[in-house]
Amino acid sequence: MTSSTETRADRFVREIAELRIPDPAAGRPRLWLRLGVALMVLGIVLGVTAYLVSHRTTSPLVQGDATTIGLGGVTVSVCGAALFVRYSLTAFLRFWMARQSYDLTLLGDRLLDSGAARDLAGTDQPNR
Amino acid sequence: MSETKALRSVPRAAASPGASPLLELRDVRAAHEGITVLHGVSLSVAAGQVVALLGPNGAGKTTTLRVAAGAHPLESGRLLLGGRDVTGANPRDLARAGVCLIPEGRGIFPNLSVRDNLLMMMFTGRTRKQVEEVAFARFPDLARFASRAAGTLSGGEQQMLALARGLATDPAVLLLDELSMGLAPLVVGRLYEQVAEIARGGVAVLIVEQFATAVLGLADHASVLVRGRIAWQGRPDGELRTELSALYLGSST
Repeated sequence: MTSSTETRADRFVREIAELRIPDPAAGRPRLWLRLGVALMVLGIVLGVTAYLVSHRTTSPLVQGDATTIGLGGVTVSVCGAALFVRYSLTAFLRFWMARQSYDLTLLGDRLLDSGAARDLAGTDQPNR
Repeated sequence: MSETKALRSVPRAAASPGASPLLELRDVRAAHEGITVLHGVSLSVAAGQVVALLGPNGAGKTTTLRVAAGAHPLESGRLLLGGRDVTGANPRDLARAGVCLIPEGRGIFPNLSVRDNLLMMMFTGRTRKQVEEVAFARFPDLARFASRAAGTLSGGEQQMLALARGLATDPAVLLLDELSMGLAPLVVGRLYEQVAEIARGGVAVLIVEQFATAVLGLADHASVLVRGRIAWQGRPDGELRTELSALYLGSST
């Protein structure tokens, strides 16, 4: 209930205070997803670069550098893949959980309904 | 220029000095298709106050209004309503709370009747009776045209309908874009009288106008926007009237 002396401005301030404002961070998953893809691509680029560097030299020192670049590429790709899987699966898993929850509720309701129907019909066997 | 004098005599709204603003923009930057059009705009409007936002074509006035209504995203800065940061809030929620934007071109449905246009405002939860009472009490002429298609009304009557629709939502913050566009000075004077009356009822009014002379008689405070920046702000007195052309043309006096 609101006071009758409440002005329009007071009511506005109250309603704005009660307003639910979405968190600006809610849009970040898409950024993480894109970063994941970018890192996977970067990893592949680093791998190819490492191959080309090692292929064009006989120097063990340069080949050692190429090995380091290649391992770095693998690491970057794995991190990118992890980010991609994490954020691309989130939406799917949310839907899947909602579906599971709905199915369980439906099953529960069905079991309760059939139990109630059996009680009303009196089909339970009497104890002898 | 008698019309202009008549406009200047519109009774001003009684804004309480020092009252906390209902609407506040703080250092707002906003862009259209990657091009920044507002470069750190700050302004505030208290309950019962009329603030005029003036400026030449393309200065960013309409964008400022859309930002204030929550209908345009911010690059940076903050939008505060009733002292709360509502940056990023859904504009529909803000409209339901009491922010009303009357856009340039009035935003009415020309093929619908006046009554149907008004009943569109029932989305706020008000009943048909409440909507009609508010609208027809403020603009009795509209009651006579209730069954007519809105597109057949004159420009002034259409603007009345747009204002009536806004009032039917019981706004706390009223955002008016180019209210005087295409209207005769006498009609504009009558509309401004209504706006002053609305503000006296405690509504915060931010009004955007390209042609400044008329609205200065109504406003308690004026800001001049030039190329996305506030070039001048203060009480709309003689100083502004003398500097206005220089501000519009971008040269210093």
